[in-house]
Amino acid sequence: MPPPAVAAADASPATHTDSTSTSTSTSTSTSSQSSSNALDAVNARPQPPPETKESLWLRRSVILSFWAVVVLLGLPVWWRTTAIYRADLPLQGMTDWADGKSCKPVFPLRIAVEAPLSPQEAHHLLRTTQHALDDLNEFSAHHLRLMLADPPLPANASQQVVSDGIGSTRSDEDIALSIRLIPVETGTTPRSTLQPYSPTLDVYYMPNQIPSASSTGSPLATYIAQELHKIFAEEQALLASLLFSTSGVHTAKIKSLSAETAAELKRQSTRALKYAPTYHLTFSLFTPTFAPSGWDIESALQQYLTPLLESFSAISNFTVDTQVQLYATFSPSIHQPEYDEDLRSWSLRKEDLSGFINAAEWPLSPSIGKGPTVNFVLFVPDQNQSPLLVKENGGNSWLIPQWGGVFILNPPRDSDTPRILGKEALTPAFHTFSNQLLSLLGLPQTPASLPLRLSTLKRVRAASLIFSASSTLGALARLYQALPSIPVPDTVAKSVDLTTSHLQQACDHLREGRFQGALEHARTAEAAAEKAFFERSMVGQVYFPDEHKVAVYMPLLGPVAVPLVMAALKELKSIISGLRK
Amino acid sequence: MALDQQQALLFGVAAAVRLLLFTAFPSLPSLLAGRVEVSTPVTSFKRLQEGLFLYTHNVSPYDGGVFHQAPLLLPLFSLLPNPSYHPFATNVVFTVVDLLSAYALAQVAESGQAAVTRLFTSSRKDLRWSSAAIAAGFLFNPFTVATCVARSTSALTNLCILTAMAKASQGASITFILAISFASYLALHPILLFPPLALLCYDTRTARTKHAPNPWMFAILHTLGLAVASGALLVVSAVLTGSWDFLAATYGVRLLLPDLTPNVGLWWYFFTEMFDSFREFFLGVFWLHVASYMPGLTIRLYRQPLFVATTLTGIFAIFTPYPSIADASLYLSLVPLFRHLFPVMRYTFLASSSILYTSFLGPAFYHLWIYAGSGNANFFYAITLVWSLGLSVIVGDSLYAALRDELDVDRPELRGKEVKRI
Repeated sequence: MPPPAVAAADASPATHTDSTSTSTSTSTSTSSQSSSNALDAVNARPQPPPETKESLWLRRSVILSFWAVVVLLGLPVWWRTTAIYRADLPLQGMTDWADGKSCKPVFPLRIAVEAPLSPQEAHHLLRTTQHALDDLNEFSAHHLRLMLADPPLPANASQQVVSDGIGSTRSDEDIALSIRLIPVETGTTPRSTLQPYSPTLDVYYMPNQIPSASSTGSPLATYIAQELHKIFAEEQALLASLLFSTSGVHTAKIKSLSAETAAELKRQSTRALKYAPTYHLTFSLFTPTFAPSGWDIESALQQYLTPLLESFSAISNFTVDTQVQLYATFSPSIHQPEYDEDLRSWSLRKEDLSGFINAAEWPLSPSIGKGPTVNFVLFVPDQNQSPLLVKENGGNSWLIPQWGGVFILNPPRDSDTPRILGKEALTPAFHTFSNQLLSLLGLPQTPASLPLRLSTLKRVRAASLIFSASSTLGALARLYQALPSIPVPDTVAKSVDLTTSHLQQACDHLREGRFQGALEHARTAEAAAEKAFFERSMVGQVYFPDEHKVAVYMPLLGPVAVPLVMAALKELKSIISGLRK
Repeated sequence: MALDQQQALLFGVAAAVRLLLFTAFPSLPSLLAGRVEVSTPVTSFKRLQEGLFLYTHNVSPYDGGVFHQAPLLLPLFSLLPNPSYHPFATNVVFTVVDLLSAYALAQVAESGQAAVTRLFTSSRKDLRWSSAAIAAGFLFNPFTVATCVARSTSALTNLCILTAMAKASQGASITFILAISFASYLALHPILLFPPLALLCYDTRTARTKHAPNPWMFAILHTLGLAVASGALLVVSAVLTGSWDFLAATYGVRLLLPDLTPNVGLWWYFFTEMFDSFREFFLGVFWLHVASYMPGLTIRLYRQPLFVATTLTGIFAIFTPYPSIADASLYLSLVPLFRHLFPVMRYTFLASSSILYTSFLGPAFYHLWIYAGSGNANFFYAITLVWSLGLSVIVGDSLYAALRDELDVDRPELRGKEVKRI
């Protein structure tokens, strides 16, 4: 290869090649040049003159100016706008929570004993009962601790004062159950009754059943221990199955959980709605005709529902709305009611109950506001299709798991359907609705005392919220590690900190037996954990692998970059070759 | 005086045409003001009226999220009677704005800076149109007329840009700085015109006063002047609206493109399709793309600063976020100043036919998309692509012609020959 010509004067037949090192080349077809060049033009293509200093300088500064924009402005813009901000998360702590290492939930229940005994006798009774109780207990996390009621009753207090109970029971909500020992002379002893509307167990005994200071066991102590164990059996089973299903830590310690109990618990938990701080209750009156067109719902709610909801207020809040729908027809998908001669009633088949709610036409909105909606449907059948009952068992109400309940209110025979349903007419319906609401909220079936069941529910909810928030934290930690390309804003880190601090407090409260506080902290922790996990700005780039970035950058920036890079390379080459010479 | 008579006649006819259109077709202004080709979110007269209503009712004009124009327009237009009932005064204002723009353009043409500058004299310098013809090209350009009738505030921006060019080509530094800072204040991107126009101003000052002013002093003084004038405008605006919120509502909207109303530019479609996480990055890329032409062109064609400024207005008409036909009309009216380049341009037919083609098909396709529902966004976007292509062909071709013209001067022996860039 001949060296590239650098000046037109070098042009000769020997270097008659295409030279591409200079800026312009001219065609040789016309000859407006001077006559001295004409001969050359015939023989050889004249080489273009060298670039002037000025044009060289101009070209380089133009290229430099484009590069300056790219480097000085473009690169910072690229860096600023595509950097992925990832806040630091306490990953180890989050994983510890999810693995149950940070908190082993324990449920120390305090049981106050009021005994009209001398302090020594009372202490001894307590000790022996505690021994018997500990022997019975198989589930170490759930622990019943007996203590004397504070202030201890004087031994000579009259029975009247004790059974009255006002002056003696400590109004401490951390006391799970109070036992009142009541000496009696008659009847089988020892015997006990559980107060249905207060957390109190009355135990009747004969004074000679008090264990003497020397004996190590007594029938009264054993009896009390067994009663307590029975009362808290379902709660223990619930908590044990919860621990078993979520963490698996305590598996070895649960032996008492039989298959039937487990199945029953599972059935109950599938019925119940997921826990929410606020539930929305909708009461609907449906009738296929024009009557009844009204109901005395306000006072019925006031009388039957408000006390119940108030007792739940420590666990959840409720909002209530009601509606009346006339001319509401059955869903066409089910069999229409048939007349049953034997029962002298119209009957619905059991398998049609699930399709009874005419979801297409009845205005039962799935959710109003934040919380889940619980629907209660009161259906008043047509006069000529009345009474309407379930064929198989003659019942008139049923529960729809995680949705609500239905009650068929058959109008009285031999009279027209009343235009307005009074409070008395609604009574059976509201008793049923109350029971349905209790099972929908996951309230355990036993024991018979409502406050005890509520406090059980409180503990179960607190534990399940702690587990749920912990596992959300663990999932977030795994997400953080698995997807290094997602941005993590500071709000997520803040929510995580909030979650862990509230979880810790909830756990501490549990350990100290303050279950109301534990539930409140667990609720906050759960809300914060959900907020952190479902942060909207994190998910934008989840399904955006790095290869896609090529497709984003190349179509526009590629064509721009090629001439820039080529021009820069060419200039660099010519500068280097100029330096070598 | 024949020329003056000619100009007076020209201006009279142009004003008469505009006022006739306003009065003969009373619904035409609001029809045109609603067209996306004419009114963009940052220049629309309807949005100005909305801001004006809020302003006169002592509410911050930017609270509604509709008005994105400079705050100083508000006291100006609040002096006029309400255009919904008494549109005549507003119509006269916009007509006068057009006439003033044409006058400034005529001054630019008379200065002769297009073909003969201090450092460069075109070999075809005698090939030029009279200033009246160029002003007529501006005044009777259908795009200009449509902008005027739609009462788009980009007419004001165009006036400021043309005045800045006229004053720069006369070497009047102070008025030039005032005009360019007004233009930048109204529309932000004209600030990129400052370096080439300052160069033009320097050239004319040097040619006029014999002893050249110190270029560094000149640059520093003019930059300072621009900063002071723009700063004063912004401070007055802040005092007027009571807060600095207007910055986000005016320049923030131009920079960040929150309003994706279709227009004749290329941005809106691109950013409707954009992944959210890359939006900011590509906003930066697009803006840098617009800005990156300025230094390169100014350096390469430093001997023809007026041509650089003209080419930049063409680039603005293509690549800014909210272009309209008003920006195109400015560029297309400035191109005839360079009549001497026309013989060297190669694709005039292609460019002019694609501009014509899109001028007719654009509204039709927009109608198909929005009103008839038988088309989709791609119809209109394809037309805006062709429109931008047509304008880019003119820009590129004129650039080529300008370079060729410089080459003809540097190397007279190559004149008329085919050249090849290597």
